Amino acid sequence: MSRRVRYYLLGIVVFIWLVTGIYIVHPGEEGVVRRFGKKVTSHGPGIHYHLPWPVERVDRPKVEEIKRIEIGFRTIYPGPPARYRPILEESLMLTGDENIVDCWAIVQYRIKDASAYLFNVKDVEQTLKDACEVALRQVVGNHTIDDVMIAARFKVEEETRQVLQRIMDGYESGVLITAVKLQEVHPPEQVRDAFDNVVRAKEDKDKIINQAKGYYEDVIPKARGKAERLIAEAEAYREQRIKRAEGDAGKFLLVLREYRKAKSLTEKRLYLETMEQILPGIQKYIVGTEKSGLLNILQMKQNLTTLPKAVKGEEK
Amino acid sequence: MNKKRIGAIIVAVVALIILNSSLFTIDETEQGIVIQMGRYVRTVKEPGLHVKVPFFQNVQKYEDRILEYDAAAARVLTKDKKHLVVDNYARWRIKDPLKFYQTVRNVSGAISRIDDIVFSELRGELALHSLSEIISMRREEIMEKVAQKSERKAQQFGIEIVDVRIKRADLPKEVAHSVYERMRAERERIAKKYRSEGEEAAVKIRAQTDKERTVILAEAYKKAEQIKGEGDAKAIKIYAAAFQTDPRFYEFMRSLEAYKKTIDKNTVIVLPPDMEFLKHLRMGE
Repeated sequence: MSRRVRYYLLGIVVFIWLVTGIYIVHPGEEGVVRRFGKKVTSHGPGIHYHLPWPVERVDRPKVEEIKRIEIGFRTIYPGPPARYRPILEESLMLTGDENIVDCWAIVQYRIKDASAYLFNVKDVEQTLKDACEVALRQVVGNHTIDDVMIAARFKVEEETRQVLQRIMDGYESGVLITAVKLQEVHPPEQVRDAFDNVVRAKEDKDKIINQAKGYYEDVIPKARGKAERLIAEAEAYREQRIKRAEGDAGKFLLVLREYRKAKSLTEKRLYLETMEQILPGIQKYIVGTEKSGLLNILQMKQNLTTLPKAVKGEEK
Repeated sequence: MNKKRIGAIIVAVVALIILNSSLFTIDETEQGIVIQMGRYVRTVKEPGLHVKVPFFQNVQKYEDRILEYDAAAARVLTKDKKHLVVDNYARWRIKDPLKFYQTVRNVSGAISRIDDIVFSELRGELALHSLSEIISMRREEIMEKVAQKSERKAQQFGIEIVDVRIKRADLPKEVAHSVYERMRAERERIAKKYRSEGEEAAVKIRAQTDKERTVILAEAYKKAEQIKGEGDAKAIKIYAAAFQTDPRFYEFMRSLEAYKKTIDKNTVIVLPPDMEFLKHLRMGE
């Protein structure tokens, strides 16, 4: 009886020992099995079994999880609104043109080879963190400050990713760098106002050019309008001249036709009519034919200039 | 019965102890050397279950992964006599556990050797390059060289230097100030450049505008004068055609008209008595 109990107990202990070999690999994980320290197999998500300790052990790194590393700052409150703490000794770096730039970046990575990740590098996280700084500084050191801040951000990001991947592959770390993203890239505090001034200068430039363009838009249409008016006026003048000439000519020809019918009579009539029109209201002197006539006229003219205006009328 | 059982248990325990002492495992992350009474026997790099002579041999295990070495930031002098604060790290691994065991014994011993080697190599190599080379293009190349040289020296300790890298290479604080001054001056120059470029472009646009306006107006003047000329020419032609039919009459008519226009109230006119108009006035004489 007691022997049977002992067998039962032994059986239960063995059973429990065997049961400890059941393990679950969660989605996004990979189960890497080592037997006596040597890797034998790996499993995807699901329920699996391994020989219990001390024969086999299993590690389940999260191979699909994307982790991130912050360079130059730390998130102290994820927000919103997020709050960050700057870390100047990480973020201040020299650019290729020997300027100093304040650069924040994040690096995203995941495990691409679970075995390599587990077995090849002692402290992958720290190694990656160090390598991030190396890569970022190296790439920033290859570009000018303007490139890093504005013009070539994507290039800096991509090059950093490549350099970082190369370093981590050199360690056979089993890590895949999925992205490097520059966050805030500023000039350092000490010179920020000078950089702001450049931005303002750029705006001033645009403004002054726009004003000049405005002048163009204002002046040229007006000039075109004026040109149109000049031409229209000229055309009007031409038409007027022609029409008037035609009118005058027509009138002349009509008059001429009638005139030809009674030449000397008409001539006389027209002459008299004209005299009748022009002679009233003007000063006239009728001078005799004698020789003294001319002298008289001259005297009279002299008198005329000295005589007051009122007297002139009576002289008729 | 009872004695027999005790005997069996003792045998089993002894067997277990012997088994435990004669078997050992090497993990994927480890390597080891088997030592017999202080004498080296063999190196085990292959992970798995291994056998040794119980009691007389023991196993010294070492890390087989890449290990960290992070130096403290130190000041170095570049070829162009500029100070630079360099913070570098190295990654290394134990390549030959025997040599490692014989020379440095453990990781902390190794690190102090690496510190000596890498720092002197780094200092030596950086002194051959200018600041701009170090911070830019040739940084990777320089580090490659430092790593290779360090590697050669580290071999005697059974250490492989995987790489040496400059984590940070910054200017010392007192130099940084002058860099800021230079940056400021440079930005001021750029700002000025933008403003005068704006001025330049604006003046160009305005000049172009004025030019275009002048040209437009001149063109218009030319065209307008042509049109007017056409009008005048045509008018002359029409007049001439009409008046040529009787030039004498035209002269007569036109003269009368001209008299009407030119003689006004301010005109003083002297009429000779024999004038046609006064002919009948004279008849009474």
